[in-house]
Amino acid sequence: MNPAQFTVDSRLDGDTAVIYPKGYLNNLAGESLVAECGRYTGKGIRKIVLNFGGTGLINSIGISLLLQIIEDLRTIEGTVCFSDMSKFQIDTLDMLGLLKHLRIFPAESEALQYLGAGTV
Amino acid sequence: MSTELKRALYNISALADLGQEITSGGSSFQEKIQSVLYVITGTFLTNKGAILDRNREDGQMHILAQRGFDQLDPGRADTEGLASFARNEPCPLPAALGTGVGAGILMPLWVRDEFTGIVLLGEKFTADPYTAEDFELLRIIAAQIAVALNNHSLFRDLSDQLDENRRLYEEMRRIYHDTLQAFAAAIDAKDAYTKHHSQRVAKYSVAIARELGWNDHDIEGIYVAGYLHDVGKLVISNDLLNKKNPFTQEEVDEIRTHSTLSHRIISKINFPWKDVGKMIRHHHERLDGSGYPDALSQEELNDGTRILTLADAFDAMTSRRAYREKMDIQDALNELKNCLDTQFDNRIMLAFCRVLDKEIKGELPEPDILPHFDRDSDLTVIASLLEGIIRELSE
Repeated sequence: MNPAQFTVDSRLDGDTAVIYPKGYLNNLAGESLVAECGRYTGKGIRKIVLNFGGTGLINSIGISLLLQIIEDLRTIEGTVCFSDMSKFQIDTLDMLGLLKHLRIFPAESEALQYLGAGTV
Repeated sequence: MSTELKRALYNISALADLGQEITSGGSSFQEKIQSVLYVITGTFLTNKGAILDRNREDGQMHILAQRGFDQLDPGRADTEGLASFARNEPCPLPAALGTGVGAGILMPLWVRDEFTGIVLLGEKFTADPYTAEDFELLRIIAAQIAVALNNHSLFRDLSDQLDENRRLYEEMRRIYHDTLQAFAAAIDAKDAYTKHHSQRVAKYSVAIARELGWNDHDIEGIYVAGYLHDVGKLVISNDLLNKKNPFTQEEVDEIRTHSTLSHRIISKINFPWKDVGKMIRHHHERLDGSGYPDALSQEELNDGTRILTLADAFDAMTSRRAYREKMDIQDALNELKNCLDTQFDNRIMLAFCRVLDKEIKGELPEPDILPHFDRDSDLTVIASLLEGIIRELSE
């Protein structure tokens, strides 16, 4: 896969949308990730898991897009969980002071379990 | 690695992102600015950001990109007031930018002594305050954005100027062609039998030149030569031009002066096209060296002259004159063919026949020659004749 070609896949798991960004989240193409989240929230979905297993680089543009998704979910009192992030990605979020504002899980299944357990 | 070092690396990386977005090819200015806004909001961890530029013409602020600042009302902004903020110094967002814009930071953008716009940032997502390090980074980023906006503005000014110049050029060109046509009408009006002759010669010449693959600039040159080739007839008396009886040798000699007169009249004009003067002076020269006014050899006759000569002769043959009836198209084509090598060039004749053949077959969107044929011309016979000549000359 060409990392410059950013794509987004998704699926619905019960009342939760699981979204799979693929490629580098470092340019305007990343807006499709925000749009995909918006597509689900537009249908009334308020729980979203972003699986970053297929995403290598996240730069300042990517961080901006993630903040927008988090803000959009907050506006509708929804919840977004991040999963399958690399250590580098988690370190970046930690360094930016964002970890305490995010729900990050090692695996998608754990994020789904968290969202399904009614804890949100 | 310490958090401070990691943060410094992230900031350096953000600056690199910014440079890449500003200088990236293939994306529009709007896309660049949108990307730059993402870089800024991602760097300073805010969901609210905007980039506005100051329009040089009306002095007003215009939003180039924004997110989260939906209430922003640049029309309310006092541009002079914004420009009065200290250069390169971030300051709190003024309420004048619109009700409900909330708290945040405003960074004026300057290039040398010119105020080019502002960057606005909302409160941080983490609710942390902006630090001195943030402001230092913002100054660097703002300087880059200011230069980018200024460059875009300069480019836009140049582009507008180019458009205006292009418009003026087209206007002048139109006036020029209108003048040419008026001139040609004056020439043709002297001789009742040559009405529209100059226009037709111009059109036929253009059709041949295009068939030969000439570029647009050179085609325009031969078009002008076609219109002006007989301008010298303005000096020759109407009585002589419209004489019905056979000409005396003296009269023939006088009429033959029209090509040198034409050349003399236009010689003061500095045409932007090559060889217009030569084409006009030599449109009665012949390949066998027996033409006038200079009895040039065929090596001395350029393609433009050869085209004009054939176009002029064809129109003369197919037009009525005071002293003779007009030839039909078939006879004129046969006459041209009979005069190949002595008067007309094979290659030019071939191109003429090909373009005429295409016009008859409807292969050209805007025919130049066919509209001047008599309505009762037998196109089937003409097409057959053309095919024969084309075959013969192509061998």
